[in-house]
Amino acid sequence: MPPALAWGENGAVSLLSRYGAGRLRHLDDSRFADLWSRAVANGESVSDPHLSTCAQCQSRYAAFTDWLERIHDDARDEAEDAFPPDRLAAQQAQVMRRLEALERPARVIMFPRFGRPVTSTQGHAQRWIAAAAAAGLVIGLAAGQFFDVRHIFTPVVRTPQLQSARAVTQGPPSGPQIVPASASNSAVSDETLFFGGDPARTSGHLQMLRAIDDITPRARDIDGPR
Amino acid sequence: MTRAQAAGLPTREADSAAASAVKALQAEGRHADARERYAELVARHQRRAARIAFHYLRDAAEVDESVQDALVKAYSHLSSFREELPFEVWFTRILINGCLDRIKARTRRERWLVPMPESPHGQRDFTERVAGTGPSPEDQLLGRERRQKLAAALARLPERQRSVFMLSHYEGCTSREVSALTGLNESTVRVHLFRAIRRLRTLLADDAASIGVGGERRRVTS
Repeated sequence: MPPALAWGENGAVSLLSRYGAGRLRHLDDSRFADLWSRAVANGESVSDPHLSTCAQCQSRYAAFTDWLERIHDDARDEAEDAFPPDRLAAQQAQVMRRLEALERPARVIMFPRFGRPVTSTQGHAQRWIAAAAAAGLVIGLAAGQFFDVRHIFTPVVRTPQLQSARAVTQGPPSGPQIVPASASNSAVSDETLFFGGDPARTSGHLQMLRAIDDITPRARDIDGPR
Repeated sequence: MTRAQAAGLPTREADSAAASAVKALQAEGRHADARERYAELVARHQRRAARIAFHYLRDAAEVDESVQDALVKAYSHLSSFREELPFEVWFTRILINGCLDRIKARTRRERWLVPMPESPHGQRDFTERVAGTGPSPEDQLLGRERRQKLAAALARLPERQRSVFMLSHYEGCTSREVSALTGLNESTVRVHLFRAIRRLRTLLADDAASIGVGGERRRVTS
């Protein structure tokens, strides 16, 4: 039967070729990687029937492991170079300092604004004084609205000239008259203003004041030139 | 000797004992003694922590901060540490989470800020250059270029693949350890590791070709 023969021949050839190719086929990088990773992962040596018999694959596998070893050495050297012993010692000291700091309670540094306590007895007193002053001001203003107190502070002048003039025009005075300072006579002296215009009293007071003045030491007499 | 021990990882028993002792001292209120005992753990894990954080962040100042933060956080949360989980795993988880948070914050920040251009030598500041009697300038340059390429390739890996690759390959962790650190299944860790290597091979194709490896690998066409 042609189909059966064809199958038999092709199948036989195919199986033979596959078997032969399987025996003769060299290992590729993937297989090397697989073998190596298995060996490393299990901590065992590499075992493969083809590798143990094929010298070419053995040399290629040796080159493959050399390449990996070179990678390993490069990476290790680079890391070792980056961390020489003195740097590691400094790092260890820093770790121990940090561990020591872990056990100390955290120190809270006060913000400068709150360096002085906000509440104190002095602050209370100042607040009371300010409140009393404000209250006094308000009360004063309110009282000023209801009562006319300006006349209390206005000076009362009694001069003989004015009194005589009033006597002529109005008759006998009924009481003290209030005369504004601006309206008073310019001829009125200070003594008249202070002592009521009586010349005898004025001269007597002046004499007394002069006597006091005489016995009062002058600043220029006390403080001599230094 | 396991791979982890070969990579210089501290012994777990000593770590767990120290962590339990610090926890007990904290509970008794003997903080000075607790700190002194914790300093041992810091000294044992600091270098490895700095390396892991550097692979993630690649900025020394930021690495410094993240390692400090992780160590302080581990100390202050030691009461939640369970003895059945290795201290190293617990601490590395804290560290990696901190690094990932910083990467997210940096990504958000870089949306708005234009980074300062680096000098042609790849150094930000002249003060970072240190005179030495090491490799020649040419070797230094080649090495720097190689590292930059590797860093760029790693940065292009998905986050999980990158984490798994770095922890497995750089730090020598087994799949179980990586699983505990990342919260992934062990089988998932193996898959991520395999994919990470395959992707790195593709991204670093030129570098791989220079050492005569390749075979049937795929080439990146630009």
